[in-house]
Order: sequence, then C-alpha cells, then structure tokens
Amino acid sequence: MTNLKTTFRSARDNGYLLCSDCEKLHYLHQEGQHCDRCGAHLHSRIANSMSLSWACLIASMLLFLPANLLPIMTFKTFGQGEPNTIIGGVLHLLEQDMLMIGLVVLIASIVVPVLKMIALTILLCTVQFGLQTNLRQKTMMFRVVEWIGRWSMLDIFVIGILVALVQLGSIAHIEGNHGATAFAIVVLLTMFSAIAFDTRLIWDNGTSDLPADSTDHKDDS
Amino acid sequence: MQGTLTHLIACHECDLLIERVANQPDQDVICPRCHARLYYTTLNSIERLLALSLAGLILFIPANLFPILSLRVFGQSQSEIILQSALSLYEGGLIVVALLILLFAVVVPLIQLIALFYISFTLHYRWEGRLLRQAMHSYQHLRGWGMLEIFLLGVLISIIKLKDIADLEIGLGLYSLAALIVVITLSSIFFNPHQIWHQIDLHRKQSRSHD
Ligand SMILES: [Zn+2]
Ligand SMILES: [Zn+2]
Repeated sequence: MTNLKTTFRSARDNGYLLCSDCEKLHYLHQEGQHCDRCGAHLHSRIANSMSLSWACLIASMLLFLPANLLPIMTFKTFGQGEPNTIIGGVLHLLEQDMLMIGLVVLIASIVVPVLKMIALTILLCTVQFGLQTNLRQKTMMFRVVEWIGRWSMLDIFVIGILVALVQLGSIAHIEGNHGATAFAIVVLLTMFSAIAFDTRLIWDNGTSDLPADSTDHKDDS
Repeated sequence: MQGTLTHLIACHECDLLIERVANQPDQDVICPRCHARLYYTTLNSIERLLALSLAGLILFIPANLFPILSLRVFGQSQSEIILQSALSLYEGGLIVVALLILLFAVVVPLIQLIALFYISFTLHYRWEGRLLRQAMHSYQHLRGWGMLEIFLLGVLISIIKLKDIADLEIGLGLYSLAALIVVITLSSIFFNPHQIWHQIDLHRKQSRSHD
C-alpha cells in the first residue's frame, strides 16, 4: 500500500471541509456556500445528524411492535383462512419443513431489523457520550448495517408478489394487511436513521492522537 | 500540514486529512484510520457504463412487460408483472406498501439507469451536458434504494411457498429481471464517483474554452 502522509487530525480541525456529494475539498469558511464543482450545499458534518438519526431510530423501534403484532397477510382457500403475522408466517414455513426459506424470512424480517436497531443505538450512544473505544470496528459495523438493512424489505416484496399472483376468487385468495404497512415503515425509518447518521462524528471525539496501530497498518492490504 | 487543496484529500467516513498520492490502476487508496476506500481507478469506466446502462434500459422493458410468474389452479390462471404487485396492494388498501414497491422495484432503478446513460453518453461523446450535475446527484443519492435483487429473492421465496399448492410457470420477465440485476450490479461496480466528477470538471473546462 502507498505510504499516506497524515497528521491524524480531521479535515475540519485543519480548516478544511469535504463536499459530501463529489468529495472535493474546500476551506472551512466556505461552509454554507455551494460546491463549485457539483453545486451541493457545503457542510462539514450532516446538519442535525444526531437528532434526526435518533428520531428515526426511536420511531422505528416504536413501530416495530405493531409491525410484529398486526397481521401482515391473509391466505384464504375456499373462504377459509386466518390472518398471519410475520412470526406466524415463519412458524408456518417451519411446520411445513421449509426450513431454509423459513430461516431466510426470519433473518430478513426479524434478525436484521433488530440487529440494525441495536447497532444504530450503539453508534448513536458512542457519539452522544463521547466513547472512544473500537472506533474502527464501529465504522465497519455501520457499513455492514447500512448495506444489509435493505434486505428487510424481503417480506414486503413476497407479500406484493403473492397478493398479485393468488387472486383466484373463492378458490384461493391472498390479501395484504396493515401490519405490512407498519413493517415497511419500520424498514424505511431505519434506512433514514442510517442516512442521517454522520460516521465522521464517531471520530470527532478526541481522536486527534495517533491510533496505536497506525504504523503497522500502513503496509498491509 | 502544508499543501494546496488539490494535494489534499479528506476521508468521507472519518474526515481524516490526508495528502493525496498517485495510485496505480490496480491500487486502492485506503484511509489509514478507518479503512474506508478513499479513491481508486476504474479503467474504461465511462465506456463500460455506457454499454451497461444501454443494456439495462433495453432489459428494463421485457422485465416489466412480460410476466415474471404465472400460476394455474383448476383451469384458472393468473400472471404477475412487477407493476401488478403494486397495483394489487393499492387496490387492497395498502397504499404505502404499494407505493414503496413501485418506488424500489420500478421507479428508482429506471431513474438510475436513465441518469447513468445520460452521464456516460454525455461524457463519452463530449456533449454539452447541462444536466450532468443533476444526473450525478440523482444517481448517487438513489444508491441503495433500488431493490430489484431483493424483489428477485422474493420471487424465489414465493415460488417455493406456492409450488405445492399450484402449477407455476416461470415467465420471460423473470429471466429479463435476472439479467437486469446483473447489469445494474456491474454498473454500480464500475461507477467510480471520484473519477467521474473529475471528468465532469475537465469536461466543463473544455466546453468553456470552446466558447
Ligand atoms: Zn461537490
Ligand atoms: Zn477514514
């Protein structure tokens, strides 16, 4: 790897600012103006990052309850059929020995959203309380969580496909229920929370000193 | 740290200020503090994006017009195209869910393909490109919101769920959708924002000197 020269201080501490859209470097006093290359609004950190991110996260946690308690869809054959919740659907799949897709749906609909909420809480607390441990791991966790969170939409797509496909009048009929709306909004809110979160805030608290392993990491990868 | 703005670069994930170095084409420059990828070189990026976005726009048509799946029970049959999912949910009263499926599975991928085609076409053929900035902003801000690959996994799960109950037939739409996902994934790999913004910069300077 190339030998990068750095003072291990942030661009902001050095009087610079990075355009968040095109990553062109500007002077800090240009904050509030527009980037001369891409026209985006210049800000050294996302405005109101913490409050927006907290708000979306807490709202998603509150909605997660109705999303799991309300039925998401109803499968009726010859007029018979009960509404199903997310967990109910997973259990149904497991009962029918469809272990693989039962697990896939369980991971996408329950495990991923819960892990994402926990991860975002850890990240937000790190910034809120100025914690300074495992910052690199936390940044890595954010990348993973941001990428994986969208897969929670899986069950929503399955509902959409089944509802469109199984419309055979009285023989068989699938309809969506409002638990699906709640769940879709949960996923949406966690995505907004991650977008509003500014990873640079993690590093802003007292990390101006050199990380202990900075010298050995220059030669790897 | 001394240097002009062009000699310096900041990490977009941890804001570390670093001196820019020249990199080899096969070499990624990694942030020493948080290990984010700072910049890298993609060979023939514009040409590849032009070919991929064009292929994507063409594939978009059969993927949305031909049935993904057809189901047959007791002589009755029903087919599904992507739009049908949104429409059925809308009719069933789940307006928000219908809207999200429409956005994530149809609108966002289409806008991204159009933006990508516009960017690569304008830069490759050195057109004027008044909307280059807007196209770049829309493509970059929509990253992560196109969810065709998740939709495809949803189709596979629906097939497994229904295969014991009814006769299912895979339609041309599903093959087109799979090809479309490959094209979109490749184009997001070859999309190198640093490099393209730099090219837009050069492009603008050139067209200004022509005036
Ligand atoms: Zn910019
Ligand atoms: Zn970094």
